[in-house]
This record gives sequence, structure tokens and C-alpha cells, in this order.
Amino acid sequence: MDMDAQTLIARKHSQALHQGFRRWPRMGHAPPALGDRRWTADLILSTWLQAEGGAPEEFGLEYRVGASGGGFDRLAFRSLPREARLPADAAIDTAIVLNRRPYDGRVEIPVPWYGSGMSYGSVSEQVMLARAMAAKSWDTFTCTGEGGYPDSLFPYRDHVITQIATGLFGVREEIIQWAPIVEFKYAQGAKPGLGGHLLGDKATMAVARMRGSVPWVSLFSPFPFHSVYSVEDHRKHLDWIKTVNPEALLSVKVSTPVDIDMVAVGSYYAGAHILQIDGSYGGTGAAPEIAKKNIAMPVEYAIPRVHRYLLEERIRDEIVIVASGGIRTAHDVAKAIALGADGCALGTTELVALGCTRCSNCERGRGCPFGLTTTDPELSLLTDPEWGAERISNLYASMRDQLVEILRRLGLSSVGELRGRTDLLQYVSDESVGDGEVGYDVEG
Amino acid sequence: MTWKDERAVERMIAARAALVDREHIARVNWRKGAAEGGCGVIGIACSVPIAGRHLLQALRQMRNRGNGKGGGAALVGLAPEQFGVSEQVMREDYLLAIAYLDEAARAQVEAQHVERQFEVDHLRIFRPAGGIELDPAPPLVVAYFVRPRGSVLADFAAGAGLEGLPVEELADEFVYQNSFRMNKAWYASLGEKKAFVLSHGKDMLALKLVGYGDDVFRAYELEDMLAHVWIGHHRYPTKGRVWHPGGAHPFVGMHEALVHNGDFANYASVCTCLAQHNIEPLFLTDTEVSVLVFDLLHRTFGYPLEYVIEALAPTTERDFAMLPAGKQAVYRQLQATHIHASPDGPWFFLIAQSAPGEAGRRMPRLIGITDTSMLRPQVFALQQGEPGQPSIGFAASEKQAIDAALESLAAEDARFWSRADRYWNARGGSHTDGGAFIFSVRRDEAGAGELICADKFGRRIEIGESAMPLRRNGKPSGEGKMAAAELPDDLQAAYSRVCSALPGWDYEQAGAFLDDLTDDLRQERARSRALDLLTTLLDRRYPTGNLRRSSWLTMVDEALEKVFRAVREEPGPRYRFHDHGMPLLAPGGRDQAVVLEARRFATEGPHSLAREVVRLVEAGFGRVIVVHARGHRFIANGLGPASDGVRIDVYGSSGDYLASGIDGAVVVVHGSGQDQLAQIMKRGKLVVHGDVGQTFMYAAKGGEAYVLGNAAGRPLINAVGSPRVVINGTCLDYLAESFMAGDVLNGGGFVILNGVAFDETGRLRDLEAPYPGGNLFSLASGGAIFVRDPRRLLGEDQLNGGAFTPLLEEHWERMLPYLQENERLFGISIERLLTVGGERRRPQEVYRAILPARSKALQPEELWVTHGG
Repeated sequence: MDMDAQTLIARKHSQALHQGFRRWPRMGHAPPALGDRRWTADLILSTWLQAEGGAPEEFGLEYRVGASGGGFDRLAFRSLPREARLPADAAIDTAIVLNRRPYDGRVEIPVPWYGSGMSYGSVSEQVMLARAMAAKSWDTFTCTGEGGYPDSLFPYRDHVITQIATGLFGVREEIIQWAPIVEFKYAQGAKPGLGGHLLGDKATMAVARMRGSVPWVSLFSPFPFHSVYSVEDHRKHLDWIKTVNPEALLSVKVSTPVDIDMVAVGSYYAGAHILQIDGSYGGTGAAPEIAKKNIAMPVEYAIPRVHRYLLEERIRDEIVIVASGGIRTAHDVAKAIALGADGCALGTTELVALGCTRCSNCERGRGCPFGLTTTDPELSLLTDPEWGAERISNLYASMRDQLVEILRRLGLSSVGELRGRTDLLQYVSDESVGDGEVGYDVEG
Repeated sequence: MTWKDERAVERMIAARAALVDREHIARVNWRKGAAEGGCGVIGIACSVPIAGRHLLQALRQMRNRGNGKGGGAALVGLAPEQFGVSEQVMREDYLLAIAYLDEAARAQVEAQHVERQFEVDHLRIFRPAGGIELDPAPPLVVAYFVRPRGSVLADFAAGAGLEGLPVEELADEFVYQNSFRMNKAWYASLGEKKAFVLSHGKDMLALKLVGYGDDVFRAYELEDMLAHVWIGHHRYPTKGRVWHPGGAHPFVGMHEALVHNGDFANYASVCTCLAQHNIEPLFLTDTEVSVLVFDLLHRTFGYPLEYVIEALAPTTERDFAMLPAGKQAVYRQLQATHIHASPDGPWFFLIAQSAPGEAGRRMPRLIGITDTSMLRPQVFALQQGEPGQPSIGFAASEKQAIDAALESLAAEDARFWSRADRYWNARGGSHTDGGAFIFSVRRDEAGAGELICADKFGRRIEIGESAMPLRRNGKPSGEGKMAAAELPDDLQAAYSRVCSALPGWDYEQAGAFLDDLTDDLRQERARSRALDLLTTLLDRRYPTGNLRRSSWLTMVDEALEKVFRAVREEPGPRYRFHDHGMPLLAPGGRDQAVVLEARRFATEGPHSLAREVVRLVEAGFGRVIVVHARGHRFIANGLGPASDGVRIDVYGSSGDYLASGIDGAVVVVHGSGQDQLAQIMKRGKLVVHGDVGQTFMYAAKGGEAYVLGNAAGRPLINAVGSPRVVINGTCLDYLAESFMAGDVLNGGGFVILNGVAFDETGRLRDLEAPYPGGNLFSLASGGAIFVRDPRRLLGEDQLNGGAFTPLLEEHWERMLPYLQENERLFGISIERLLTVGGERRRPQEVYRAILPARSKALQPEELWVTHGG
């Protein structure tokens, strides 16, 4: 096929897709077989609307919660009575700092979230680039995931977190030196106890080149870091990064085992600035079926457990907790913070903004109908980075507006004040679900 | 071997039922009180008593393995005069050491648990020394020399149904139960903990506090205390804001104290097993249950040490298949019975034991055991004196700690020198050494000791050569047989001359030669010549004739020292000097070298040696010569991309992560490396004139590496791209797991494993097998291993995802340049490698290629993509 034909096909295809993303939310009914109970059709369509620049609640979509029947979907905020809320024009601060240690540089992001790690391999270079552009325009971060650092990301390096995971794929000293934050991925909520696993289908020539591996062979990252079998090895591991890049902040990403509290304290003593707690709902799906099931503690349980434990240990204010793995909406972000996190990391949400329908065909190289979780050179042309960056930016703007509104109703002038305020949350019982109205804005 | 009477075992277990609430311990959901992973450990066993201060520097250098929340020490084979008791009391009495967290409790504790139960022959108080700021303050420790009161013991036997038990065993059990009761009453059951038993064995003592391991030595003034066996420990607990010394290591069984580096996953299962035998853990740590299991197996069941070790670290997989049938039968029973109480996870135990010896004497022992998967760092060492002179053995987390202890000893005692004769790693749960080594000090009637080192199977480890070590009483003086001026200018020629002459020298003559070589170092040319020749003598292996190699190298070290001193005192344009606190100099050009004094730099962090190396290279030095490394980590890390033209030489005991991530630089280690060397290495060259530790070249992307000796576990795991590696010795296990280094005929990477070693006399020999492990090239998808295996000793059962294939001419072409460089670096000639049984063979007859086999589909999803179905 000559290039022109390929370009034409890609262009035609993307136009069709973009049209679909625009029209579907406006149809008044969901397309068949869209979404699932966590990511309902309404949530997906509303995210598309927001990504386009629209308001989330248009066309009667439920944009705040899914229908999982648990977790965030069972939580609602106890908003203040109208007269006690902050005025509509109140200045509300949504920024968080990512370094609470008394040493190392101050890093602040204007919204309490950044992009979580998705590797080159799990997603296309275009998707990575779109995320990085959005991160730059919002002065927040995105993360490489474990699959190397494509050269095209270099101009955005001040906004790119370099991830180091157990396979150390694509990790070179310079990508540690470029990074303002280096993230150690010890585990991933989508497949706790397993390392990364890129199926052979997606290990294309380009992916294999980036990782230095053999094309078309499945790539396993080891389950553990083989150089880290203990907390003092972990400290040594962090010291290593500080030797290569003394300015870097250190983030430690873990899943949610039952002893997550001990993991958190260990990471604190090892020198981590950020602890990322990754719940089990995340993951692109580029993982084996057996590993995609829910086998870790729900992140809604893990966050308050870690938050309270660190408070008891009197070290809570020296480490930043970032929650991830199933954070879908601005409401999820706010709830995670009320449970005790400082902020969140977003992965799937950003893919949905780019058109993902959660069809879960991510592990196959040409399985993604929207050209997101693919490294196929043709299919990945469906995502134009500029277009993608704008979609993610629009979503961020909408999310920030919603967060401000939540804080205003709670009478809080900064997102920091929300942290750990479980008293502002309310469990939504079966009865209130039964009447079809999932309470979101309970006035108490 | 005597077996304990089965009924005696049952009676002893039944007797402990009164100690515990069976209902309660059956229901408990056992959970550790704290998570602890790491820890730094060192153990020493010596045929003569040595002072505690020799552990201080070693522990100080390993502080980065602890967090100051627990430190401990144990000593066995004590000096009676230092405790103010007779030799007989030391031998026969139990030394009951009690820590009083609350001194007000002392009178009551003594009344209930000491005086009523025992005749107290003597007591010695360890009051924490002033001037040591620790929080909480270390407890007062009282050590009571006691014997159970006759009537009390008789009543105990009757009450517990233990009549007829040999009196020694009965008394041991009485002491054990008394300590348990005391710990439960005064420690475990109280919110405010008041007192606990530190140790109660004979001729041994354990001490611990909240702090670092070296704090224990200062707090309890152990610097001058003498003992045959010592262990020291830093703890790294991570949960709980309040720490008690009771949680620190060591923990005791009966006549042994155990420290531990690691973390179990099956703590609850081990506790359940203990509960089934009426044993209740009171301190809620891995370490406590480890020693309780040891005591159960060793004292209660009466298992010999070998079986205890097997029950703890089972022999598995191919190693099991390699055992003799008789052993398999016993081990199978042991595993079937004890696997649920076998600690699962990374661990390394050091045990200081006061074992019963001949004629009522105690036999101090140091036991080091690694887990089956070898997940914690461990290194053993032995320095063997000539007959009648002391020998000393070590086990530690890091080689550098052993070197620090030896250096400290050698500095004040002429019977020791600063290098061990042999350093080695244990292969966990293996058929080769069993993953454990035991150093026993056998003392005769007159108190003279002999150190015996043996592996799990009882096979002795000896330095099997006749050359005597240097006796260091005074400086050797004598006529040299060779003048330095006679040597040719060419380094290789000069080295050859020295090598051929050396076997004919005695220590005086060798000393005279080195003195002559370093006599006048005012000219930089002389410095350069001395440095190069001495370095080659340090790096290479060659026959040393009448000289013990380790002694000779100690002399070479001292000669090198003179060269470095000359540079420090009067630096020249060619060799500059830099030390901590000195302003950074700008070099005149890339050809200038800088000698960097390592001692005063931090091991890691912003003021580390590694950062200073980066600064010097950034300042423009093309060569950095690091001297006196003391476990400094991350050397040559952070140089960034394209560090071509930079060379880093490292003398001393280098630390972990050396050369990780290098991209063009050359790094040469004049000695052995430690763990995690050359992780993610991309380009450049690493040369190690010794062994390397765990996870060598983890996820390396490329570059060349040459190792004279062995690699420990998991070398080249997850390596990709094009690394080219020559390992002349072997590896413990898991070589090149998940290797993904492309197509070997098309720029991909490979490992050449030669399976040879120099013996102590400097002769190159084939190892028993080129690779002893059961996991070779597992799950590999790219690259190749070329293994020198002329006798075809390796079997298919060692592979898991790889396949033996005939060595192609093209393979040999790819290997050749690296073998040539290997020959140049280490003097291991290709000719010699291809000579088998005195006959020159073709490469295809000597080397075998292992290439990736077709990958199997591990997951249903992969059926789509696996090659060829």
C-alpha cells in the first residue's frame, strides 16, 4: 500500500471516529454493548462530551458515578446547606504539592492529579505524546510506564515522570536525569503480584527496538525487582536514582496488599516523596485475562488505611499519597482525597477521553478499534497527538470545574482541606440507590 | 548419630503444654509486630578470642542496612576472667542475661525468676555507658551465672513428667521454661514492658538495644570484651512508632542466638507449627520464630545440624535429584514433615551457638544459612593460619564488612592479615554445599582452639596449600633477588619476569623487591611504573610459590599504598590527588588522572563518593583512581550518556551498584565486586578481577563485561540488546533468566561461561561442572550462552526455554574477540581454554551454544502469537 492511500484511510477513519465520539452522547440513548458497570455508558459518553469541551451533565448523562454497586459508587458528599456554601466567585485552590519533605525542590501541580504510567507498547507513541502535551499545558505530569522513553517526548521532559519497573525496559541514565520525578513501579493494581506482561502481538519491531528485545516475543517483567527483596534494598534502589539524578523526586507505586500500611511506612523511611497506591480497577487490559480480575484490596479501603496509619506514625505530612487504579471522574478524585489521598493519577480516564470504549481488546496488537492501545504503525495513525492533547485538556478543565464546585458546596477553599475528611462522605445505601437516584450531593 | 527417644520428645512437648493457653494459641491470627526486610549482619568465628571492637568498623560501614531502630550482638566462647568467674563456672553455669527496661522491677524479677530457681554463683552488671544518646535509653543488663537448684529441678522434672531425662537436657528445659515464663509475665503480657531475657545459654551472651548494631558495642563497652564467636546486627523495622530493645535481634533458642536478614511470607504458618508443639512466640518477629523452630528441631527433636538446615532450607528441583539416594530418602521425609515451618521468602540466618563439646567443654560455633532461592546477599570468608596460629572465619551481608573487620584485626594483631584466603557464596538448598557453612571452634583442655569450617554436609573447607602465611613480627628484611631496575619497561614483560621469579622467593626477598620498586617515587614515571606493575600483580592469578597468596597480596597492597601516599604528598601533573573537603581542581586535560581518596566520603547521598566521581569527570578528568573504597555504593553511576573516554579504577572494597548504567566508560575493579553491578549497563566496559555478587548486569542493554571469577545468583536477568559478557568461573543459579538480547548472529548479546577457576597455587583448573544450577537461560527469548563444557556435563534438565545447539563457526567468530580480550585482561589463554586433557580441541568440541527454544504459550491469549504453535 502506498503512503498516500494509508494516510487517506487513516484520515477517513479518524473523521468517522471523531464524528461518532461527537454524536453518540447526543443520541439520547446509549449505543448497544457500550461500557460496563464500573464504566457505564453514561460515564463514557459524558467523558467524551467533556473531552470535546462540553458540560458533563448535558443530555441527562450520569457523569458522577458508575453502577458497580460498591466503592466510589456508594459514596456521596454531604454538602452544606445552600446558605452555608462558599459564594460562586470564591477563590478555591485546587493545587497540591508533590514534595512534602523538608529537602529537595518544591513541585506543585495546579490540579490534584497527573497521568499515570502507560508504557510504549501498551499504548501508541501518539497517545503518549497527546498525554505529554496535555500535561505540559496543565503544568502537571504524565508517566512513561515501563517501555522506554520515545524521543518525541523529550521536549515535554519537564512534565514526564520516568517509570522504572521490574524489567527495567528502556531505562537509561539519561531518562532518569531528564525526569523531575522518577517512579518505581513495584506492583500494579491491575495485576498485583505479577510483573508487566506485553503480549507478543504488541511487541512490534518498533517496540522491541525501544526495549532492546526480540520482536513478536511476549515481554515479561519479573514479578519483583530482583535487586530488591527487602526494605533496605528498596532504600538502596532509591539512593541509586538520587545518585544519577540528585534533583529527582521519588515516587513509589505499589498495589494494595493487606499489609499496604507497612509498605507505606517502609517507603517513607526509604526516602520516597510520593506513594502511589494503585487499586485493582486500573490497567489498560494489556495483561493476561487471569490477571485482570480483582485480586487486590479495593483502593477505597487502602487509601484510608494508609492515611490513618501514617497519621498514627506521625509521618503523614512528609509524604504525598496518590491514588490510582479506577479513578474515573472528578467525583472519584474528590472522594479519594476525602478518604485520605493527596491526589490521583489518571490512566483509563484519559484513554476514554481519546475514544476508548472499554472493549478490553487491549492485549492484541491490532485489537483496539480506536488505535489507542496499539503499536501497529497503521492503526496508531488514528490518534492525532494534537487532537488528543486538546481532548485531555478539555477533560481536565471540566474536572477542575467540578472539583471546585464540590469544594464550594462543602465550604472548603482548598483541596488540601478535603484530605482525610471522611466525615464529609456518606455511604449510599441500597434504599437510596433503589429509587434510582444515587445520592451525590446529599445536603446534610 | 544418636536419635532421641521418641517418647522423650513427646514428653518434652507435652511438658510445655502448661506454659501456654492451648485454646488461645490455636485461635490466634498470627501477625508480625513489625515489617522488617533488610538488615546488615556480620559473624566472626576465630580459634583465639578476639575483641569486640573489630566488629565496629564493619558495622559502621553497613549502617545503611539498618535504620537505627534495633541493634544487637551475641558473643560465644567468653573470657572467664572478664566476667570474674572461673573457667569451670563459665563452662557449667547458665549465663542468664536479663534486660531491665524498668529497673524498679529488678527486685521482684530476681526474687521470682532468679533466686527462687537458681543458685547464683556470680553476677555481672552491664550498665549502659554514659554519653550515648539513644531513644529509648538502653536497658540495664544483669548477667547471672546460675545453676538450677537441685530441689527445684527435681520438682520440675516430677511436675512436668520429665523424670529420667538426662540431667543436662532437663536443666536446659528448665532454664528455657523459666525464661519463657519470665518473658510472658514481664514483657509480652504488659502494656508497659519491664524486663526480658536476652540470653540464657552457657558461655554465651546476647545484648541488644534500640539503635544501630555498633551502638551495642559502645553502650555495653564490648570493645575490649573477648570471645571466639561474634555476631552483630543492624535492624530495619518499618512499622510501629515505639520500638523496644526486645524486638531487636538476636533472639535466642537455648544455647544459640540468631540474627536474620530477610522477611517471611509464611510467618503465620510457622507460628501455627510452633503452637502445635506448645511454643508461643512472644516478641512477634520473624527472627524469634526462626530461632524457636531451630531450637525445636535441634534440641527438642534432636536433629543433627544438617537435618535442621534441610528442614529450614529444603533442597529442591534439580539439586534434589542430584543428591545420593540415601539423602533423598531422609530429606524427603524432612521436607514432608517440616515444609510448612520452613521460612518462605528471602532470608539469611547467622547463628552464634555454644554447642556442647568434648569433655564438658563448650564449642563455640558460627552458622550461616541462606534460603533456597538465595534472595539475600551473603558472603563467607576464611583466613587460615599456619598450624598453631589462629584461623578466622566470617559470614556477612557484604564482603566489605569482612574486609573492614580483618583490617581492624590486622592493624593490631600480627597474627592476622588484611585479606582472607578465600571468599565465597553459598548455594542455597543445593546439592553442592547445602547453602550453609559452619565454623566450629574446638578447644582443648588447655583452652587452645582450632577453627573448623565445614558445609552443611560436613565437608571441610580448607585452604589446601602448603604455603605459609607471612608472620608479621617486624618488617621483613633481607636481600632481594631481583632489582626493580632490572625489569623491562614493557609492563607485560616486567610482569612475566616477576611471575617467573616469584615462586623462588621467600617473604624477605619478596618484601625487598617491593621495597625496591617503591623506593623512589619522586618521578611520576616511577609512580606510573609501580602502579601498573603492582596493579597487575594484584589483579592476576599466578603461582606464588612459598608465599601464601593472601599474604603476598597484603604486601602488594602496602606497596600500592606507598604509591598513593606519594601522589597525595606530592601530586604531579599526571596523577593529581583529591580527598573529601578539598576544592575541586580543574585538570589540564583528559589524560590527567586523579587519585580519589574514598575513606571520608559517604557511602550514598549527596556527599557520596559516587557523586564526587561524577563531579571529577564533569570537571574534565579522564581517569579517576578510587582508592580505599569501603563499601561505597554507586561508583561510576550518574556519568550520563556517552561517557566514552572515561576510565574509573577502583581499589579497596567496592560497594553495590558499581558501573550501573554506564554508557561508554570503562570501569575496572581491582578485586571482587558486590551486588547489582552494571545494572542497566548500556555501553562501555566493566572488568572485575574477582567475583561479582547478586543480579549482575540486571536488565543490561549492552556493553562488555569480563569477570575473572564467579557471579552469584541471577546474573544478566532480563538483559536485552547486545551485552557481551565473559564469566570465567560459574554462577550460583538463574543465569540469563528472561534473556532477550536479540539474534546473536545479528548484533545480539551473549554470555560466555568458561567454568574454570584458579586454585590457590595460581593454576587454572576446570570446575567440577561449568554450571551447577537448575535454571539456565530460563524463559529466554533472545541472545545466547556459550558454555565451555567439553565433558558435556550440562543436561537438558538445567534448561527451561533454551536448547543446546551445535556451536557454529559464526558463533565462534563472534566469541573470539571477547575471548582475546579476556586473555589480555586475565591471562586466561584461548589455547588453554581449548585444551582438554592435554589435547587441543576444536571450539565446537569444547563450547556448546544454548539458544532460545520456541516459547511456549503461558496464557491462552498467547496462542495467537506464539511461533509455530
